[in-house]
Amino acid sequence: MKLKITFNYLFLLLVLSVFTSSCKEDKLQDVENISGLGGETWAQSTIDKYISDSLTTPFNIAMKYKWDQYEFSDVTATLVPAKEEQIIPISQAIRRSWINPFVAQAGLVFFNKYSPKIFVLSGSAQFQYESKILGSAEGGRKIVLMEVNELRLRGMTNYVASRDSNNVKEFIRTIQHEFGHILHQNILYPVEFKTVGKGLYQGQNWLNISEAEARHDGFISQYASSGFDDDWVETIAYMLIEGKGGWDKIINSIPAGNSINGTSQATAQAILRRKEALVVNYFKTAWGIDFYSLQKRTRAAVVSLI
Amino acid sequence: MKKKYLSYLLLMIVAGLWSCKSEDSVFEQTADERINESLAAYQKELAEAPYGWKGIIYPGTGGVFSFYFKFNEQNRVVMYSDFAAESAVTPKESSYRLKSIETPSLIFDTYSYLHVLADPDGNINGGVTGDGLKSDFEFSFAKDTLDDGVINLTGVKNQSRLILTKATQEESVAYAGGGVGKSLLFNNIAKYLTYFKRITIGAVQYEVTFNTTGRTIKLNWLDGTTLKTFTTEYYYGPSGIVFITPLVNGSQTITGFTDLTWNATNLSVGLTAAGVKTTVVAAAKPLQPDVAAPRRWWNYASSKGSYWVSETGFTVEGKEDFFGVTSIPNYAYMLFFPAIAASSGTTYDAFAAYDGTALMGPAVVPSFKTDGRVTFADFGTYGTNTLMNGKVKAQVEEVNGYYLVQTSDITYDMVSAKDGKTWITWLYPWN
Repeated sequence: MKLKITFNYLFLLLVLSVFTSSCKEDKLQDVENISGLGGETWAQSTIDKYISDSLTTPFNIAMKYKWDQYEFSDVTATLVPAKEEQIIPISQAIRRSWINPFVAQAGLVFFNKYSPKIFVLSGSAQFQYESKILGSAEGGRKIVLMEVNELRLRGMTNYVASRDSNNVKEFIRTIQHEFGHILHQNILYPVEFKTVGKGLYQGQNWLNISEAEARHDGFISQYASSGFDDDWVETIAYMLIEGKGGWDKIINSIPAGNSINGTSQATAQAILRRKEALVVNYFKTAWGIDFYSLQKRTRAAVVSLI
Repeated sequence: MKKKYLSYLLLMIVAGLWSCKSEDSVFEQTADERINESLAAYQKELAEAPYGWKGIIYPGTGGVFSFYFKFNEQNRVVMYSDFAAESAVTPKESSYRLKSIETPSLIFDTYSYLHVLADPDGNINGGVTGDGLKSDFEFSFAKDTLDDGVINLTGVKNQSRLILTKATQEESVAYAGGGVGKSLLFNNIAKYLTYFKRITIGAVQYEVTFNTTGRTIKLNWLDGTTLKTFTTEYYYGPSGIVFITPLVNGSQTITGFTDLTWNATNLSVGLTAAGVKTTVVAAAKPLQPDVAAPRRWWNYASSKGSYWVSETGFTVEGKEDFFGVTSIPNYAYMLFFPAIAASSGTTYDAFAAYDGTALMGPAVVPSFKTDGRVTFADFGTYGTNTLMNGKVKAQVEEVNGYYLVQTSDITYDMVSAKDGKTWITWLYPWN
């Protein structure tokens, strides 16, 4: 049918076109004007340059030390920023005790693929009921390290070994612990691990048992007794930080007799040795990493810091 | 036919006029432009003050603290703080930035003297674990007019108020010269051997009490026979103690104490107040005894069938636990238990130490004097502890007795009327 182009038709078109075109949309303003978009800026200092040269450029790792409340998963937590004088020593400790051993043992490609990309620092711990939170990890991307203002490393003028070395070990263990989670979230640890300590886990009650009690049940730490995943990564972390000698010493120091839960000395020691073997085997088969060699490197680095 | 076109035409005109909101907004600039401009203006204001800024902050748990800030354009700030002797005289540098978090904000983003108040570690600031002093280090700007030399800020987390005032050249020189450290010399008043202290300013004699934790000072004076009292918060500024509320007493206005000095040999604090140079002197007695206080103290515990508690017993000439009661095995506290029992028709009180099992020390009968003193007469002893039954008993039953000074709803200081050099602090913790 032939479309009748009538005056009516044209007029109607005109009306419609006026309707649809009579509003300009608001143009999108200059995007560069949006405050803070693309990251905040400030005058670069020695600290910023160190982080850039030592962490960001070689490993694509950012170290957020300038306060940003929104970097913490609990935005209502009462925390304070890090002291500036801590930043460079902490960055050095991270390189020495975690980055370098893994890179040397497993290569840069492996490390850059799996390492978390952001470290966020808090000067204070997060106080919660009866305990303090010292660190946390988010989705393999970010590690939050807390209470960095209380960290004193060997070499600092106010370092006292008897008071401070445990804090240093705990700090490094936190990073190793979180990295351990990232690895097993990519490749699961062996199912057998869940059966080794069966029946002895404490769950939420882990806060109420002592380190000695935990070890007498075959857990390297109280926190390890809270559940499978944390048991796995605590085992890794302690093995790396204590070194072979230290690890053996811990196991051999489990006293004779039974634990509160009826675990004998021999059983506790056997459990820990089995956990050790599973960790070593996992690193070999899943990642191609010689764990004892990694342990040697890590322990040497830890010794230099305590 | 024509009507139809006319109506379409009308429709078009209406459509053209109605379908657009007016493009003009109230502001000439966009929101982003305004934020950026605001941040830039605040930055300029902060950094361009030639002699820096004085700041006073009111954290959530009370008190007022004073700071000095010198900002530069490279995100660096240098501070002094009246929190402690070291921070009063040692400048410390840290960083800051301005950011828009909902509103334009000032963030002190690396640890500084300011963060000491906010630190959740109670060991650092004496606050509650997990909360600290409920202070802030991220602040939003109030809608101030710039250029009048004062910036008002409100803490984002705890709504602490921070008020910045441009410092003068004189003030900045005073800070750099350790002025706040000199102001802190006032705290040596705690080393006086007597409980009571007085300052004479012109024709008026004031009795002064102060609380260095809460940062409050109280002044008593006599107007004829009436005891007048005045309390204010204070902070340590570069030239002396600054009262938040000045004391106006007739023609005399006291805004604080300046030119603080401390003579460690004579144990004497010197100061200038209301333009008058004077010293704080020890006094053996209160300016005007609170005559009803002893009965009030006694009745408070007695009406509840309970007792007052003292953690460290007697302080003598500033030395806490002078008699060493805390070294009694399993020592819990000393207590005063009014009307604990009766014997042969006489009701008596216990003024003794408690070790969780038994009482040790004197049983006494009180006598309330019209001049506001209470004395304790010997009635017997509990237990066989030689310290409590010997030296402490002698102190308790000292013939001159005690004045009572009420320091809060549930605390009293009991001060020896003999020389004002011995006292014991009572607390009622059972509410």
